[in-house]
Amino acid sequence: MKRILSLLLVLSMLLSLGLVNASAEAQFVDGKFTEPVTITVEIYNRSNDGGTDPTNNKFTDYIKKGMLDKYNVVVEYVSVPRWTEVDEINNLLASGDAPDVCVTYSYPTIQTYASMGGVLDLAPYLTEHKDKLTNLFNLLGDYNIYYDQDPTTGELWAIEALLAERARINLFVREDWLAKLNLAVPTTLQEFEDMLVAFQNNAELLLGEDADRMIPYTTSYDIGWRNDHLLTSFVPDAATDDELYVNGFDDRHLLYPGYKEGVRVLNKWYNMGLIWKDFALYGSGDTTEDSYIKAGFVGAFMHNWDYPYRNGEESIIANLKRNVSEDANYIAIECFQNDAGVYRKFLADSVDRKVFFPYTNDQPLASLLYLDFISSPETVVYLQTGDEGVNHVVTENGAIQTVAATAPDIMNSGMNIDYTITINGLQLFDAELTGKSKALNYAGIDADDVVQALAASTNGGRTVAHYNVGAITAEEGIGTSLSEKRDAFLCRAIVASVADFDKIYDEGMADYLASGGQDIIDERAEKIGYTK
Amino acid sequence: MKVQRASLTRREKKSLGRMSWKQYMRRYGTLYIMLLLPVIFFIVFRYAPMAYILSAFKKNNIIKPPWEVAWAGNNGFEWFIKAFKNRDFIYALRNTVTLNFLDLIIGFPAPIILALLLNELTFKRFKRITQTIVYLPHFLSWIIISGLALRLLAPNDGLVNIVLKNAGMEPIHFLDDSNNWVWTYIMLGIWKEAGWNTIIYLAALTGISPELYEAASVDGAGRFRKIWHVTLPGLRSTIITLLIMNLGRILGSEFDRPYALSNKLVTDVSNVISIFVYQNGIKGSQFSLTTAVGLFQSVIGVFFLLGANKIANKFGERGVW
Repeated sequence: MKRILSLLLVLSMLLSLGLVNASAEAQFVDGKFTEPVTITVEIYNRSNDGGTDPTNNKFTDYIKKGMLDKYNVVVEYVSVPRWTEVDEINNLLASGDAPDVCVTYSYPTIQTYASMGGVLDLAPYLTEHKDKLTNLFNLLGDYNIYYDQDPTTGELWAIEALLAERARINLFVREDWLAKLNLAVPTTLQEFEDMLVAFQNNAELLLGEDADRMIPYTTSYDIGWRNDHLLTSFVPDAATDDELYVNGFDDRHLLYPGYKEGVRVLNKWYNMGLIWKDFALYGSGDTTEDSYIKAGFVGAFMHNWDYPYRNGEESIIANLKRNVSEDANYIAIECFQNDAGVYRKFLADSVDRKVFFPYTNDQPLASLLYLDFISSPETVVYLQTGDEGVNHVVTENGAIQTVAATAPDIMNSGMNIDYTITINGLQLFDAELTGKSKALNYAGIDADDVVQALAASTNGGRTVAHYNVGAITAEEGIGTSLSEKRDAFLCRAIVASVADFDKIYDEGMADYLASGGQDIIDERAEKIGYTK
Repeated sequence: MKVQRASLTRREKKSLGRMSWKQYMRRYGTLYIMLLLPVIFFIVFRYAPMAYILSAFKKNNIIKPPWEVAWAGNNGFEWFIKAFKNRDFIYALRNTVTLNFLDLIIGFPAPIILALLLNELTFKRFKRITQTIVYLPHFLSWIIISGLALRLLAPNDGLVNIVLKNAGMEPIHFLDDSNNWVWTYIMLGIWKEAGWNTIIYLAALTGISPELYEAASVDGAGRFRKIWHVTLPGLRSTIITLLIMNLGRILGSEFDRPYALSNKLVTDVSNVISIFVYQNGIKGSQFSLTTAVGLFQSVIGVFFLLGANKIANKFGERGVW
């Protein structure tokens, strides 16, 4: 028995050696491998209703066929649950099974893996193969490709995908309620507050027998994201990029100057009964708030710039029209001016997901060619728009209008964002056509509303300059616990009585800073030589 | 008790001495084969992973096996020192002990009382139906219970508070006030598990000889006297065993119960060690730090277990071993 077992082991070792040799023998000649080379690629599994197998469908077939024909590269997909992707990649990396091409939204995670020796340095490969990667360099540019390069060592652990759509957040109000109450669209903080009070006072008129369900304004526990335009309108216009970088670790802008005054407004509104009372009890992914919005009880809210328009027949607008009436509608407006009178919004830099190759990747060239292939204009357009007549129709003026498709033609993610891992946002490589088509990207939504939302979300936008100073050690491993702290103390400060607000906010902020926040500020300041 | 056990093994030895190896295996071999599977399970899933405890003393790395990784600073104790300097860990430790202690004081007697009540029911069918109903919540996951709790207890939209409001009373903040949350947490725990935990006590109750009750009746004992002098002494060793096992878990923490029931307004009391480990280890990639925390938790748990067992022995009880 023992002998058979050891024989088997030796045999399998020889076999695997043989396989490795076979792929090592594949030469890259005239833009193609001489022998088939296999790479594995991470793909999110969203387990959506009516969706297709994310590793095997008409869009993966398109990529697989393209890669095989063009480069003799066999592509295999490894699906990873969307909402627990970091946990899953942890496991795969620890067991040495991580896909050759990995993608995540969290750069600190990649930084941690890199400091464990778990990530390939891309810099030498990019230099060596630059001539074969024209599509990748054309789409992303040096800015995105070398965004995370360490300025001293030159190491590059990840490539940043392009964020083609800069709009982030919008403030939405019920257009039909404004009309019913004969109110003009508010344009200042005071007018907005007056409008909320008017909603509250006219609950009978607006909601009839559901008057006691009236919610003038709603938010979730994610205070920073869901009230961003209000909170950042208190940031002084004169704040320099240096100051904002040093205080910019938190992606909800918590450390920006003036933030507290914005939260104070929310505290006041909460105590006036203008905000949904139970907002802090529900966690991420809970649909209670959405169902109130869909039922027509909510006057105003802030959310992702296109939130009420997403998901076709299941969108907030579609539900609202079914539940309330045909004129019920949300429009995007701007109310919060900063001290210079500008409707300022802080926009993200043009970076999105981060693509990295784990240390187990023994096919860096084939993997880079994969990134190049999915970045070619032809592939991007096909993946984002699908087949004409099935996934989209072309309107009279040439624009591309999305239509809802079902399996096997359904896109598991909007515009196949999970496959186009080098770009996020519609890109048809023709600015005019892209602009026209964007507004038609939402099945069943008035194109004018989408255009208005896009403008309202980006008008007065400011992007803080990118500081490339290498790894900040104080930031490693601490992001999650600091975000949890932030959400908890902001929620507590908002539901506090007006008299207790300062105490609770200051205590929470002190705890945040003492738990690692201050170290990050100090290290950032030191790295760029910033003094207050 | 000890004497009895020793004599048993002596007797066994004697009988073994008379048997040859072959005879012994023929008689008991199948039992060993049946034992093989659980032993393999324990080796693969319980003992082999213990090698990775080493990573509590090594630099943070999941790419290489821990024995290939360099030692952590401070003679390998860097992560333990870091944990105790971490305010969140101290809060988590405090909350874990508080919640588990309250659970023990309030939650532990609940199934005993329930079992005594059930035992006194004379109408058999009613008893059986009651038993089934009190077991049922055990089969619900904490995720479902947290959903139910929100629907029932939310301060504005919860059913209980709507009823209170309609009756002209102020809503009770079961879930969004830190003190009330602790009581809600404990009470929901009792509701979920008390019924299920009666099983073991009811089983022990069937082991009490009816003659003892008859004798007590002859001596003129009433219902409460009988409970006090017959039923409770009959349950004593079961109660002690379970109490010791529970004490071993005083620093252990469930994850799904506090995580599902928690919300942003009560994190000051609801963040327990398991949540700390989840947030910093799995989500924050600080694997060595959280392994150190886990090891600390286990070591303290063992101390409690040993201590409780010793005390039980001292008071003349058998203990767990």
